[in-house]
Amino acid sequence: MKFLTNSLAKKMWLTVTAAIIITILYSYFLSYLFYEKIYVENVRDSLLTEGRSLASEYQGGALTEDLRGKIEWYNSKSETEIFIVSNPRELSACLPFEIDYQTLIGKAEREELLKGNPVEKLGYEKRFDRKIMGVIMPLLDDNRLQGIIYLYVPLAKISEITRDFAYLWLAAAAVFTVISIILGTMLVKKLTKPLLDMKDAAEHVSKGYYDIHLNIDSKDEIGQLANAFNYMSSSIRKEDEKKRDFLANVSHELRTPISYVKGYSEALISGMEKSEEERQKYLQLILRESRRMERLVGDLLDLSKLESDEYKLEKMPLPLAQLIEDAIEKYKPILREKNVDLQYRLDPEVIINGDEGRIEQVIQNIMDNSIRYTAEGRISIRLSQERDQCLIEIEDTGIGISEEHLSKIKQRFYRVNKGRTRSDGGTGLGLAIAEKLVKLHQGELTVFSELNKGTKVRIMLPLLEIK
Amino acid sequence: MSKKMYWLFFLWIITAFLTSCSEKRQPAIPEDISFAATVNIKDMTISFVDLEKKELAADWAMEKPYTGALILPDNDSILLYGKQLETADLYSLKEGKLIDSWETGEGIVNGILLETNEIAFADQHLNKIRFFHLNGEEEKQVESEIDPLTLLESGEENKLFVLSFNHEKLGIIDLASKEKSGEFTIHPSAAGAWLNKRNGEIWIGGHGEGLDIEQNIHVYDEETGKLKKKIPAASMPINFLGQGNQVYVLSHGSNMLYKINESGEVAASVSIAANPFEMAFAADKLLVAGYDSNDLHVLEPENLKTLKSIKVGEGPFKIVIRESVK
Repeated sequence: MKFLTNSLAKKMWLTVTAAIIITILYSYFLSYLFYEKIYVENVRDSLLTEGRSLASEYQGGALTEDLRGKIEWYNSKSETEIFIVSNPRELSACLPFEIDYQTLIGKAEREELLKGNPVEKLGYEKRFDRKIMGVIMPLLDDNRLQGIIYLYVPLAKISEITRDFAYLWLAAAAVFTVISIILGTMLVKKLTKPLLDMKDAAEHVSKGYYDIHLNIDSKDEIGQLANAFNYMSSSIRKEDEKKRDFLANVSHELRTPISYVKGYSEALISGMEKSEEERQKYLQLILRESRRMERLVGDLLDLSKLESDEYKLEKMPLPLAQLIEDAIEKYKPILREKNVDLQYRLDPEVIINGDEGRIEQVIQNIMDNSIRYTAEGRISIRLSQERDQCLIEIEDTGIGISEEHLSKIKQRFYRVNKGRTRSDGGTGLGLAIAEKLVKLHQGELTVFSELNKGTKVRIMLPLLEIK
Repeated sequence: MSKKMYWLFFLWIITAFLTSCSEKRQPAIPEDISFAATVNIKDMTISFVDLEKKELAADWAMEKPYTGALILPDNDSILLYGKQLETADLYSLKEGKLIDSWETGEGIVNGILLETNEIAFADQHLNKIRFFHLNGEEEKQVESEIDPLTLLESGEENKLFVLSFNHEKLGIIDLASKEKSGEFTIHPSAAGAWLNKRNGEIWIGGHGEGLDIEQNIHVYDEETGKLKKKIPAASMPINFLGQGNQVYVLSHGSNMLYKINESGEVAASVSIAANPFEMAFAADKLLVAGYDSNDLHVLEPENLKTLKSIKVGEGPFKIVIRESVK
């Protein structure tokens, strides 16, 4: 039994087959019953009609030889067995005396006949030693049962007809069963094939191959499941790719400073420097690269914290204009040095509900980028109110970003110029962290840029709701 | 009403209710009417026909399948019996209620009141003739042939003739000693008998055996049991009613009533009722009950002319007569 129930296909097949067979058997017996009933009723009706017509020949009084002769003649011509009986013994006339004799009719039948009603017989009759369908017509003279006309058809004849019907039926049923089982099997296969495919695909995925795609056209539950499966596998694949990229990026970003530190420290150990000045320069380089690594690790830590669910902002009402002003204060010397003009127009009314340190980090990250990619020209900062939101715009006249890179600029470690090193000091995580933080403040960060013209970063943040 | 009174009243109501349930009363039959009562086996009733008015006086619906009855000499007690019944039940006619039950056991198919004021029952379970006193006390059992049915008393000779229904035997019991005094072989399915005293003959009818229908009365020598002759009386003569030197013979197979003299000549005959089994004399009239026609025919015994037919219950099988002396 376990062999039969260890797969869904077999179970479905068993169910379908059982349903087909039960339906066929049920309909067979039902139609057989109806057929027999209709046929038997038909025979009974014709026997009754025949009997009534024959009984109408009886004119009362004792049964005459003439009547007997007529019945005998009719019997010889008819397919029905017909006979006339007047023997009171056969008619159970002696019944109260309990005569030891198998009479043709019984007590109840005699009573029915005495009322003038015909009696019907269906089934085995000991007298004829066979199954019959019969009708007994009373020949009543007033209230005397003078005789009966007994008409019957052996049931064998009826069952012969029903047997023909049964053979035909069984043959048709057999063909139908075979066809239905074949079709059912095909249907079951069609239904379960996508499931098998999905099982194989899931096994494939669990082995680490995410390149699977199920081609299932149906729109039903199985089709929906397959689509969900495809979506799931492609998500896993993307996530996996992201992870690989990230690891590759991290190791790549770390390799450069490490090789600097390694190379210069080796040079110092082996005494390759020619002067004290050169030694100082090497040490400066090692320090710079170490700081860079520190920054990088710090940013990575920040990012992983921001991505985890337990990261909590310490929100408070913040006058944003003051905050921005303080943040840009420290950039003024370097801007002056680079000869970049700084303009700002800040609406002092803007107050948001935010984490002071984090918002400052956002401004810094964006400012760092702007300063890094702006050789000359200007950086302008604007803070304004727009309905229930505040708008921070930081615009520069730097090198800008081409359209093809613009959409990926917020990804971690994304670099417009793959060949460029991090000599500019960025970690490649600033914008990603900034966007994460803005999102945590239910805000939005958008970057607009045009190559060689400049870049504009727009930050929308919800204003503090004053209740 | 005090509490005690209330309870007494309540008890009285309960008693009245319970008695009405346990003791079913039948319509009373006044002492001063003469009647013929038919025991109707199809609908389990007893029909009382007033002989003077020639109309139905009362119907008793019974709860047991009685097949026969006897009126006891007190003219008020009717003893009812049946083959399937454990008891023979005695009812008072004027009170219409059960007054006694005799523990007879099953198998009683026929009973007659003997001239000695004893009752003889034919018991087909024990295959015995059982004699009872009128108080219900059983006096004696006498072995009979298997399936005793017809009982015929010869008062003069103090004999009881017992006809076995299926076993072709006639047994003779001496009523003085209540011992079996003889037997002889008769025809099968015998039913109904008449003692033709003048010729020393016993006339016996019957249903016939198997498919054969009895067409004749078999006449046997009373002493030797020799078959003397057959008298045609088609068909199935099963009841005899002697009156002087002639006998009325009822043939249920052909619904015929014959009036035959002692030499066997048919003096009169008539087609009567439907499947008649039983007849009786009452008030100089002949009564014939039609088992299938559910009626009682009153005939003039002389010319067999029907005077009246009265509807009774279904399947009248036995007639008993009470002629009021008042």
